[in-house]
Amino acid sequence: MIEVKNLFKSFPNAPSPILKGINLKIENGDFVSLVGRSGSGKSTLLYIMSTLDFGTSGEVYYDQNKVSHLPREEIYRIRNKKIGFVFQFHYLIQELTALENVLLPARKANEYEQRKPLALKLLKEVGLEGMENRAPSELSGGEQQRVAIARSLIMEPTYLFADEPTGNLDSINGLMIIELFEKINKEKGTTIIYVTHDKEFAQKARHQISLVDGVLS
Amino acid sequence: MMFLSLRFLLARRKQSILILMGITIGTAAYVAISGMMLGFQSYLLEQLVNNEAHVRISAREEILTEKEMASFPHSTHVFWDIPPSGRKDSTRIESPLGWFNKLDRDSKVAAYSPQVVSQVIFSRAKVTRAGRVIGSQFERQMKVTNIEKYMKAGTFKDLGNSGNRLIIGSELLKQLGTRVSETLLVATGSEAPQPFKIVGVFETGIKTIDETTAFISLVDAQKLRGRPSEITDIAVKFYEPQKAESQAQEWRISSLDKVLAWQEASASILSVFKTQNIVRNSMTISIIIVAGFGIYNILSILVNQKKKDIAILRSMGYTPKDIVKLFLNQGILLGLIGGVIGLILGNLLCHIMAQIEVAPGRISGPGNKMIISFSIFIYVKAFLIAIFSSVVSSIIPSREAGKLEPMDIIRSGGQ
Repeated sequence: MIEVKNLFKSFPNAPSPILKGINLKIENGDFVSLVGRSGSGKSTLLYIMSTLDFGTSGEVYYDQNKVSHLPREEIYRIRNKKIGFVFQFHYLIQELTALENVLLPARKANEYEQRKPLALKLLKEVGLEGMENRAPSELSGGEQQRVAIARSLIMEPTYLFADEPTGNLDSINGLMIIELFEKINKEKGTTIIYVTHDKEFAQKARHQISLVDGVLS
Repeated sequence: MMFLSLRFLLARRKQSILILMGITIGTAAYVAISGMMLGFQSYLLEQLVNNEAHVRISAREEILTEKEMASFPHSTHVFWDIPPSGRKDSTRIESPLGWFNKLDRDSKVAAYSPQVVSQVIFSRAKVTRAGRVIGSQFERQMKVTNIEKYMKAGTFKDLGNSGNRLIIGSELLKQLGTRVSETLLVATGSEAPQPFKIVGVFETGIKTIDETTAFISLVDAQKLRGRPSEITDIAVKFYEPQKAESQAQEWRISSLDKVLAWQEASASILSVFKTQNIVRNSMTISIIIVAGFGIYNILSILVNQKKKDIAILRSMGYTPKDIVKLFLNQGILLGLIGGVIGLILGNLLCHIMAQIEVAPGRISGPGNKMIISFSIFIYVKAFLIAIFSSVVSSIIPSREAGKLEPMDIIRSGGQ
């Protein structure tokens, strides 16, 4: 379970905090969309919940453990084993094939060979069977984003965070990604939290969290 | 991280090859230049160390000065009208037995050879040449120097312990127009000339020795000077030639005789070696620095280009150390590969240079070919320089990459 308590976040040159006393709980296995206008603080909240960023004050708890009290090495381990990320700009490493990209987190955990069958299965599940050895430059935007999703699932994480995963895709590919999230949540029980601008995509989630000017609405 | 580092390197083949070329050329240049210079130096050094004594003890040479002739040591009001000058030399070592006892007891001394060295005139028919004869006991002389190695005709043992036999330098033999088994007249100036039969010829490759020097037995040399039982020099060989200089300094304190180590006798040559080494090292280090800057620049650009990749790797749990390794590995790999290719290329160049024929007696070795050193230390040093420069030039961009925080990269849009 992820719990956020009284979270504030300010940036040095910003006139007011971007997050103003956020409190929320996300149960394991939930399927949550974070919505709000540009600058409402939804991406900032996502990154703080995902340990990539830290609040100015307040706390984020992972199963009752304060993230700010965890040693750095433990945070790196959580990122590797418990969290999967999907970004708007898929961020695939151009020098590696689709399969090698998917297996990057497993390589860090020294589980490359062990997780190779799962990587092939995941690529099949996201509809990229037969494209394992293609370079990212040989894949379309939608295909690259699906490779990024397969990569985020390779360590069978408890949480999957996605920052506008459909933002760079057309509506058909965008819908395909959200439906893929639904399927993953249902079949694997992965907690999925995604940021989106799109109301239609946001409604696909079990719960919606709406942010207006840094406050939950 | 090696897998990723390799992939990054291979993806930028042109850049990688350019840097490799820099490191390869630097390493090969170091190996080739060092091989050539050290080959020449070690050959000369070997001649300096082993053809002559490590320490030569000879009759004292004393220049007379005002101070040494002071009749009133503490006076301040007594002056010379004409200050005294001149030499107070001795023609023999004052106490050879004392030296022999000292040398016999010294565990650092490998061997020594008492000698009588005289300036002489060699003559055959109407041809005369000035030079010197070294009178020695052949068994001792062979232990002190490498003379036997340079024998072109006969053996050094043919000298015997008496019987007016002579072993002559090859150039001197030529200049006198004579040959082995013929007889020469040798004159010191103070005694009547004596006939000596040529029983051998040596060639050290050093012209100044080969065209002026001849060896005779110690007894014959003493007879030639008309002073039996006197000796003028003692040639000493040490187990460790490098210790000769400090030992010579120690002996000088307790003796009036002249004591000179090979390092002091060859100071000008050794200073040329030093200059050569400075030129050699600064030249190759310049090449390596240029290659190092290449690595630094390219890795800095790469870190900038790879910010997005750094962000994604960090979000997957890769640590700052992993990111440092990712880039540092690339520098080390370039250093390793460039270093190895450079060593091979340098070795090849050395083998080619070793086939070049040069004028005999100058910098040539056996067969009048250039003398090239293939010492393992050159290769180890060249390789270490390549690795060191690669690591040093990779450290700064790698550390910069390790300091990048994923959120800063994501917020800046990965730019």
